[in-house]
This record gives sequence, C-alpha cells and structure tokens, in this order.
Amino acid sequence: MNQKGIGYVSKTPNFLIEGGIGMKGEPRELKIKVNGMLYELKVKPKALLSDVLRKDLKLTGTKRGCLESTCGVCTVILDGKAVRSCSILAVQANGHEITTIEGLAKGDKLHPIQEAFINHGAIECGFCIPGRVMMAKALLDENPNPTREEIRLAMQGVLCADSGYVKQIEAVEIAAERMRGGE
Amino acid sequence: MLMEGKFSLKAPIKKIWETLLEAETLLSCIPGAEKIERIDEKTYDCVVKQKVGPISVKFKFKSIITKMEPPTHIEIEGEGEDIAKAGHFVQKSIVDLREISPSEVEVSYKTDVNIVGKLAMFGDRIMKAKAKKVEEEFTMALQERLRSMG
Amino acid sequence: MKDFEYFAPKTVEEALSLLSQYKGEAKIIAGGQSMLVVMRQGLLAPEYVVDIKGITALDYMTYDEREGLRIGALTIHRAIEKSPIIQKHFRVLSEMERNLATIQTRNWGTIGGNLCHGDSAGDPAPVLIALDAKLKLKSLSGERIVAMEGFSKDLLEVDLEPDEMLVEIQVPTPRPHTGVAHEKLMVMQGDAGIVGAAVSITLKPKEGVCEDARIVISNAASVPMRVKEAEKRWIGKVVNDHLLAEAGDIASAEADPPSDVHASSEYRKEMLKVFVKRAAGKALERAKEG
Repeated sequence: MNQKGIGYVSKTPNFLIEGGIGMKGEPRELKIKVNGMLYELKVKPKALLSDVLRKDLKLTGTKRGCLESTCGVCTVILDGKAVRSCSILAVQANGHEITTIEGLAKGDKLHPIQEAFINHGAIECGFCIPGRVMMAKALLDENPNPTREEIRLAMQGVLCADSGYVKQIEAVEIAAERMRGGE
Repeated sequence: MLMEGKFSLKAPIKKIWETLLEAETLLSCIPGAEKIERIDEKTYDCVVKQKVGPISVKFKFKSIITKMEPPTHIEIEGEGEDIAKAGHFVQKSIVDLREISPSEVEVSYKTDVNIVGKLAMFGDRIMKAKAKKVEEEFTMALQERLRSMG
Repeated sequence: MKDFEYFAPKTVEEALSLLSQYKGEAKIIAGGQSMLVVMRQGLLAPEYVVDIKGITALDYMTYDEREGLRIGALTIHRAIEKSPIIQKHFRVLSEMERNLATIQTRNWGTIGGNLCHGDSAGDPAPVLIALDAKLKLKSLSGERIVAMEGFSKDLLEVDLEPDEMLVEIQVPTPRPHTGVAHEKLMVMQGDAGIVGAAVSITLKPKEGVCEDARIVISNAASVPMRVKEAEKRWIGKVVNDHLLAEAGDIASAEADPPSDVHASSEYRKEMLKVFVKRAAGKALERAKEG
C-alpha cells in the first residue's frame, strides 16, 4: 500500500461481486479518509462500516461485539463524532473522515489516552478498549476539561464486562489533565 | 406473555367445535396463515405470517392438542420458530366454549406465549399489538365460514 | 442482511421521485440506528433502500418567538440535545435527548428517522405530543401537516403514504405558565423506557388553576398514548398531590402494556403510576415558575 498519498485497495470487494444480475447489491464507489489516508474502494450497499474497516482495510482494532448496536466496542470517530461503526452502512461514510484506534499513536509514540489506560491499569481483557479509547478521544477533542459526570456518560457508551469502569474513568481524567498540559 | 379474550359466535356449539378443529377452517380463518396441515388427530403443522409496520415475521410451528373435552374444552401446546431464525417460541392455549343459546356460543381463550431469541425484543410487543386485531379478524372470518356452511 | 438496490438522493425532490417510482417497495433510511438493527436480524429486507442521510437541506433548527421551533427531519439527536436555543426555550426536548440511547447513537441517528420508525417505547413522540407538535409531510403531489398525536397508527406503523417523506417537525412556543417534563424508567441511562411519561401543564396565572394539560405515556400500548381521562380531572382545578397521584392511577388503569424480557405487564402498570406522577409533578413545578 502506498504510505504517502492515496491508498488504493484492490477493486475486488470483501464480498464477491455477483455476476451483474440486476442492480441489487451492485458494488458502489466508496471514497473515505481513514486515519489521514484516502481510500478508494468498491463495496456492496449492505456492507457495514465496521466490516469494511476490518476486512477491506485490515484495520482490525475496531471490534465486533453484540451485532445489535448495544455494546459500542465498534466505536470509531466519524467527522469528529463518536459513532457505532456496526450500525452505519459503509456507503453512508462516503466522503467522510474516520479515525480508528490505529490512527491514535504517532509511529511508536502512544497517544496520552492510550498511555493513561495502560499506566493506570485500566485494561483487563482489552476487548472494549479500542472503542472506549475512541469515545474518550471524541470527548476530549470536543471538551478538553470534562467533569467526571461527563466522562462517565462517555464511558457508558461502550460496555465493559470486566472492569466496573472506575479505573477507566480515572484514566480519562489523567489523560485529560496531561493533554491540557499541552501534549 | 399472557393474552386472553372472549368472543361470541352464532352457531350451534357442536358445529363450532367440529369446524374449529378442521385444518381447512384454521387455514382460511387465521390471519396470515399460509399452511395448516393436520398430521394426525392431535397434531397440526403450521406456517403463519404476520406483518407489523415494515417488519414481517413468518412462523413455522407445530401445535398439539393436549386435552379435549368435546364440545366445550380444548388445550393446545405449540412450539416453533421464526423462519429467519430470529426467534423461537412456545405457546400454551386453553379454549372454552360455552353455550349461551342453541344457536349462540361464547368462546373464551387464554394463551401464554414465550418468545426467546432476537425476536424477543420485538416479538412480545408485536404480538400484544396485533393480538386484538388477529382476534377480531379470526372471529369475523370464522363467523362468515359458519354462516356460509349453512 | 439481504442485498438491496441502493439510492442516495441529494435533494428532497430526488428522494420523492424515487419513492413515487418504487411505491411501497422502497424504504427510506436516514441514520439507520433503528432500521439497521432489524435489518441485520433478518426482520426487515427491503428491495430498494433510499438513503436520505445526505440531504443536508433537512438538517436545521430555527426558532422564532411567534412561529416557534422548526426542526428539519434529518437533524441528529445530539444537535437537539446540545442546542442552546432548545435548552433555553424547549428544555424538555434537550433533556429527553440526553436520555436517548447513547452518545454514538445520537451522533448519527435523526429525529425524523426515530419518529417514522414509530416505536411506542420511543421518547421523542410522547414529548412532542405533550408539546402539541405538528409534522410536515411531503410527496410529489404536495405537502400536508399532521398533528404529532395522530401520527402513530400502530406499533411501527405511522401515517406516511408510501410516496411520502417527513421533512419538518414544528413545535409551537408554549403558552406562558406552561411546564413540560419527561420521565422514564430505565435500568441504565439511555435505555428505552420500561415505561415513560411526558406531561405538559398550563396554569392560569392568577389563580394557579390548571387551564390545559397533556399526559402522554410510552411503552404502555402499541402507540404513545394520551391519557385524556386523567387530563380532564385537572382542568379548572388547582393541581395538588392528590390529583397528581390520581392521574397516575388513571394512566395505569387505561394502559395495556406488553410483557417482555424487561418487565411484566403488571409491573409496567405499577410503574406508570409512579412515572406519570413524577413527570406531572415536575411539569407543575415548571409551570409555576412561569
């Protein structure tokens, strides 16, 4: 893949193209910017954004959890807003900008939110963490000085079966303070 | 979920009893019924479709008559699933026929339905919303059938 | 999910042409936050999908003291939640949105999509009924305005012809001395209400007597239900604690709630007493504040 400019993905979509019978399911053009890189690909209208990210773009950091829009582990940032990628048709993201967990670190340097989660022991099995970190990023990008209640509400958007959320809320507070300090 | 109701039919009780058990009757009177086949004297194989707004569900199920006291009392148990594999359900019904006069009968029913699976999210509420309507349509259709049979 | 033919009109006219062309077989998708869930479960499989999310002309909120509030059908829930105008003049709408699903859902789902989905457990419909809102529906042959109250016909069925589209929600400026509040029973914040109540009370300024009232309950029937019998008991009286409780009792008696995995019908009936009283109490307080 071309690291510098436009990343072309092969025209063969994740789902095999059926032999041109009628228009149903005919693959459509999709132009999206993901983690700063522009992609042009063809997807079936029924393809979900989470599947395109994971299967076509090989960005598997975004997880598939409940398949019914309840758990939030599929959360990514679309045009600055946290959204559930399993509940958006990929074609609806055409022309939009997406950030996934893979887009946070700069080379080897982790994002302050990622570091706070690791250093504060806020990660247990880790499955909900990518979605959770993206929720936190969306929150802090919009509101660099959130109250604990606001952080709690943001964390509520992604379910965790392990932790009880306290460490995660604290990690976001720690990250927020560090980011306000200018990192 | 419990659903119960009462309706009256103008026909002699024996006639209603016999007609009610016929697969033909059920097929033509139950709203959304696509297939009702009597396998043996106690068992029916059924496919029923129901639409709620834009959502369609098609149920394939087996009903077994567990108790029969002609011509007044019948108990049925059913089990089946949605064709799209979105849900599985079990059902128990008790139907009582009471003669009001030689040509009028009061039918009362009590049904307990339990849905599990993805459909459970909607299933119970769909059934509740449609229950009254289904009862009305069934009653009208059955009455029409009894009348046309003379 | 089954394959479908997909269209992404950029204007209302284009969308209406498509609806007219594929009458009855086309299904509109906006944010898809309700629709995609049922499509993925195989419960809904339209042949033609008309994606209106890209019609930016329907994403707006305007307010005028005389005309009231006008919300474009494609306004996302989050925008309504955060709008300073709505927080100032229609606080109950912002509060209702704050408790609707999760932030992610509100960032993509639209108010119009929610209303047209027609879920009787939804929050916007009862609140908009309490606010006496109207809906503007458009088709190629013209437009019509319907009261929010009559829009829901049955569970998941609304008063929309196959070639029609919801374009605007109109909320009149509440009369002076009107208080509106919304309460719902949730296990987790954002849950669909096990039951819910939206109440509007208008008082006559001097005597503090109730001049007008609207009590709407959700997830208590197959559509959002107005409890007119309870409303009548308040008109012309000073609404006290006893009358608040009575409204709850009447709402509970009139309702025919479902039993499901979240609660039994009996429990819902009990909770309606509590939540109608709570919402009514809050509305009354707000009405008194003027």
